[in-house]
Amino acid sequence: MASENSGISPGRVEIHCPPAAGRPERICPVSVGTCGYSYTEWVDSGFYPPGTKSTAMLGLYGRSFSVVELNYTWYQMARAEALARMVEKAPPQLLFAAKLTRTMTHERDDNWREQLALYRQGIAPLKKRLVAVLIQLPPDFDRSVANRSYLAALLDGLQELPVAVEFRHHSWAADPVFAELERRRVTLVTVDAPALPGLFPALDVVTNPALFYGRFHGRNREGWRSGNMQKKFNYDYSDEELRAWCSSRLLPLAARAEQGVLLFNNHVRAQAPQNGKKMAVILAELSNGER
Amino acid sequence: MLHFNVADFAVAVERVTDSSLRGRPLLIAPLRAARAVVYDMSEEAYREGVEKGMPLKQAARICRGAAVLPPRVGLYRKAMQAFFKELHSYSPLIECGEADGHFFADVTGTHRLYGPAPDIGWRLRRHARASLGINPIWTLGTNKLIAKVASRLVKPVGEYIVDPGEEAAFLAPLPVTVLPGLTCRELEKLQDFRLTTIGALAGLNRHQLMVPFGSRCDYLHDISRGIDDSMVCRPAAGDEAPLDFEHIFADDTNDRHEVEGAIAALVGRAGAGLRGRRQVARRVGVWLRYSDGGHVVRQASCRTGTSGDFLLRTLARDALQRAWIRRTRIRSCRLVCDRLQRQSPQLLLFPEQEGREIGRRKVLTAMDTLRSRFGHGVIGVGRQEVGVGGER
Repeated sequence: MASENSGISPGRVEIHCPPAAGRPERICPVSVGTCGYSYTEWVDSGFYPPGTKSTAMLGLYGRSFSVVELNYTWYQMARAEALARMVEKAPPQLLFAAKLTRTMTHERDDNWREQLALYRQGIAPLKKRLVAVLIQLPPDFDRSVANRSYLAALLDGLQELPVAVEFRHHSWAADPVFAELERRRVTLVTVDAPALPGLFPALDVVTNPALFYGRFHGRNREGWRSGNMQKKFNYDYSDEELRAWCSSRLLPLAARAEQGVLLFNNHVRAQAPQNGKKMAVILAELSNGER
Repeated sequence: MLHFNVADFAVAVERVTDSSLRGRPLLIAPLRAARAVVYDMSEEAYREGVEKGMPLKQAARICRGAAVLPPRVGLYRKAMQAFFKELHSYSPLIECGEADGHFFADVTGTHRLYGPAPDIGWRLRRHARASLGINPIWTLGTNKLIAKVASRLVKPVGEYIVDPGEEAAFLAPLPVTVLPGLTCRELEKLQDFRLTTIGALAGLNRHQLMVPFGSRCDYLHDISRGIDDSMVCRPAAGDEAPLDFEHIFADDTNDRHEVEGAIAALVGRAGAGLRGRRQVARRVGVWLRYSDGGHVVRQASCRTGTSGDFLLRTLARDALQRAWIRRTRIRSCRLVCDRLQRQSPQLLLFPEQEGREIGRRKVLTAMDTLRSRFGHGVIGVGRQEVGVGGER
């Protein structure tokens, strides 16, 4: 029986994938979580109990979810000693995705190779609990020759690590891109965002048979380009929207990957963890219904 | 608490106005001062061994080929104001230095409006780079102490976020020299006791610290554990700002007449400034900076406040007497008049006092008139040195 809230791995559901052309019946475990976990407003909004200090948040988070995306590594270089302390205190079932630091994605400083070496050292304590290094590229990172070369070099520098890439410019939605990611076994992030022109489309392309990776940013069309994070990510997915997503996207993804993670980025007013818990319930119902 | 620090701020601002200064050693020093000392220097000059406060001649010998520019404090203040304005759009609680590129911003409670604090730090840095051409270090901690120490680790560029609960682990391996507010003597004592890391210092309780450090034991106890309850101090606006004047001696001195004359001259400037603002000061502070880098500051207060040179001189003399406790030669002296309030229009109660006061006021008014026409140094009182002292 699948459970959306197993005491061992809360927020982790085994999706039953029926046999398809050339593929036997299989189980694809899918973990649900959020982008970041340390938000003061999650105390205000009731996800964490009143008075919860930041130091207690990871432990409480782990009661609901089995995967978390570390977003502070985007703002500052990962530091091994700090990450080691975090991993030590984290619930044992919790897996981590770690964002690549902005100096290598958004700013692309001249010394990015040194930065990459530092980053690899910094995330080393995550070891087998690392689900993926997330390379989130900026909206203006188009598929120019220079950018393609840069991305290729960056991926070379991350060899032997599980990597997921989130494109935000529509020019990257091309078969040659998918083929190259497939060759490198790099996961293409499946994005859910407002349907606005110029954005990378929502796709169910699986480029890495080891992992699919979904990020839910919310569908706030008005807030998306406001420049204010509290507006951009202020969105509450309805049950219908989540079910519709599962119907159209989940099975194609789960059928072609060994495991998956679905992460909610609509952090405003704790909508991300609320939607994450809803999603886990829906996945469990789906899985139970499939059997 | 966010801390922003533009390393070598004056140099950074000069390089924004003149890009040809980038990538080469640069010294900023008042070229026409009797004793020109380095006001600021570029990273290239610092690596050659130049430090702030070093005599310019020495700095120029150490770093040959360095460009030398006079300080343009007004320009640096404008740059500070521009960044302050941007910070202010995120929080009303901003603390900044005079023209040194340092800012604290308390963003507690702003998450609902502007999102997580790291995002605010990143955005402000991005704005500073794009709009002002400066690249501040930014750090985030639970209090000013942690944010300040973190910024000492990432010079000349970078960022550092210390998560809540991580303060002790963050501080423990660091050398005690990164802690702000420790005097040279305290650092020497810590060295003598082999307390070279903050973790080692944190291993001692208050009683143990009291023996060698006396009343400072509480401060040392708290900072070694990352405890700092100090609030962000908003800068005084315009006329609320203290009057602050400094004189650097051409040669280090322990000549009492020379120092008293310099203080008297600074009093003259302060008095003129107060009268111009129609304010009185209730406290006068005298800072003495010694040639070995140490400094002592003492104050003298006047309950009713004064803007008259005569009483200001008496207060300054008292403060100087209290401050001058060492035989080491003095490099510079500074006079600060604060606790300002508006000048009272009320007349004095007793006619004989009033008569004396009226006479003094007439003298000072005449002096102010002469100074406004011919410059401050044209006239002085008693043994003050003319041509002394500049406003900080």
